[in-house]
Amino acid sequence: MKRSFVGVILLCAILLMNIVFLQLLVHQYYFENYVAVLTYMGIMFLLFPLALWIYKKEKYKGDHSHEKE
Amino acid sequence: MTDQKRKIPVEEDNYTHNINRNNERSLDRRGFMKTLVGAAGVFAVASLPWGTLAAKELMGLSDKEYPHKKIVDVKDIAVGDSVEFYFPSEHDSAVLIRLEQNKYVAYQNACTHLRCPVYWVKEKHTMVCPCHKGKFDVNTGAPTAGPPRRPLPGIVVEVKDEAVYAVRVKRYEA
Repeated sequence: MKRSFVGVILLCAILLMNIVFLQLLVHQYYFENYVAVLTYMGIMFLLFPLALWIYKKEKYKGDHSHEKE
Repeated sequence: MTDQKRKIPVEEDNYTHNINRNNERSLDRRGFMKTLVGAAGVFAVASLPWGTLAAKELMGLSDKEYPHKKIVDVKDIAVGDSVEFYFPSEHDSAVLIRLEQNKYVAYQNACTHLRCPVYWVKEKHTMVCPCHKGKFDVNTGAPTAGPPRRPLPGIVVEVKDEAVYAVRVKRYEA
């Protein structure tokens, strides 16, 4: 069994983006740029389904026991 | 796992060692990815309150106008005097000060330190909180001495028909 770490790397990148955007969001809230806050919130809400999609796609990568031969 | 841990003490009634816990606590690739997806969900939910507050600000709900409330007739307040009133609710005590002939200022007079009532001291031309000797500038509501660090929330007043009305509360600056 050969493991695929593409999913792990992509999800780590998404986690990093989550952290960065949440920090920006909180800052923009205190700078009273409320439109920017809503934009960042939209990005945060798009990142979650993206992460879920990557997970579903990568779940069985490298694991051939679920494939029919 | 080691065989020692799986050793069954009494062979014939095995009620306690019948659960296979091998690798239960080890985090594999899939479990780690699942955790990351969960974290993404938590982050999305965490941004929700900020977005709600931002949307509220954009819609201007926090700057709402309360029903105008009559404070005092102009003839009943001399220049340099103050009147206490309650605005917007009956629990929010406030003070109106007539600084000049046509200049009125009003503040919610709960001290921003520990909410003691702040008084207008005419002789010293300043607003004083007696609890801890906090002082506020009468023109801006900004703290000038003592423990308070934040300004008093100002109230917008309006003179109409020989009476002073409270219109709305200025944005509270934290």
